[in-house]
Amino acid sequence: MKDLTDQITRIRTELHYKTGIDPVEHCLYRIKSEESMREKCRREGLPETEESALQMIHDAIGVRIVCSFLSDVYTIRDRIIEIPGIAVVKEKDYIKHAKPNGYRSYHMILRTHEGYFAEIQLRTISMDTWAALEHHMKYKKTISGNIALISAELKRCADELTSTDVSMQAIRDMIFEDSEGEENV
Amino acid sequence: MKLLLAEDTQDLNRAVCAILQHEGYEVDTAFDGEEALEMLLQSGYDGVILDIMMPKRDGLSVLSEMRRRHILTPVLMLTAKAEIDDRVAGLDAGADDYLPKPFAMKELLARVRSMTRRRNEYEPAELRFADIVLYTGDMALTAGNTVRLCVKEFELLQTFLSNPDKSLSTETLLERVWRNDDGAAADTVWLYVSYLNGKLRSVGSRVRITGKRGEAFGLADGGETV
Repeated sequence: MKDLTDQITRIRTELHYKTGIDPVEHCLYRIKSEESMREKCRREGLPETEESALQMIHDAIGVRIVCSFLSDVYTIRDRIIEIPGIAVVKEKDYIKHAKPNGYRSYHMILRTHEGYFAEIQLRTISMDTWAALEHHMKYKKTISGNIALISAELKRCADELTSTDVSMQAIRDMIFEDSEGEENV
Repeated sequence: MKLLLAEDTQDLNRAVCAILQHEGYEVDTAFDGEEALEMLLQSGYDGVILDIMMPKRDGLSVLSEMRRRHILTPVLMLTAKAEIDDRVAGLDAGADDYLPKPFAMKELLARVRSMTRRRNEYEPAELRFADIVLYTGDMALTAGNTVRLCVKEFELLQTFLSNPDKSLSTETLLERVWRNDDGAAADTVWLYVSYLNGKLRSVGSRVRITGKRGEAFGLADGGETV
């Protein structure tokens, strides 16, 4: 875990130094508590052992990297796969292929050379805000209000936020475009 | 569909009102210009049939006053005189159409239908090109995913989708989409084309808008590898 977070910090520092802009807005790390690990083992029908925990459960370690811009998400992703000693087990691009409810994020499952797994979620600030609100809806026991309406409105907001993310990216590209820059679309 | 009929000749007012109601319209009636204006200010109508010659306040004055107050309800003027000047004055004051008296009921009904027909009734609910669908109701752009466009992005893409085989110059686009708004320039068009290309990419489409900054743009299917 320490290794992984150090590597992510290094990538962040390098990119910040190179471009003058920190590509990461914030970064969260969490390790699943013993109780929730045991609960997950039971749920998946695995023995409640250290071995299961380390080798079978892919999200024992969770890292969420929240970026300012869409392109930062992919830049960080490209740097993560180059971390020495890290194997990419699985990648899912829910930005390119959004979930039907509007959820967008880039998911990666990594295996470190020590053999444990980590789940990385990469997303923009607006995707993060959206996911936080959607999470509230999903886990709130009693929702006052029309669930169908709330779900439809959340989906609409997701599609509007994506639109804004793309526009912000285009504006940033225009600001930073080379003076002799590419003028073809 | 709710109409206001302002006509001071009692018999004609009653007859037209009855026919309009028979056709399924909801009709309020006024017998002079002041009454008509009061009703216009109080409730919303889908169309107004306005006689020019009326006591207290004539139709032209009612029309100018409602337009001055930004009431955009379509207006059909009834003109007794076959005076060209009258019609011109009416149209200039903001009328949408006129009908000289005496008129056939059939023609009145056709003109009312034409007046209340909304422009968007001609607009298709969705526009398609290659792998994309643009929904005009909620300005959603869909291929694999969906994004919601803002008004200008929507109008720009709608213009391209309505002219799929044409190359449209930056000037044409400024005129059609920005209606020659002073703040808009060639770079505005370029930025909005960039937004749309980003959004086309984002929904997973292979469609792109191609062209050079400041020049003409057009739709291309698979013009770029996705």
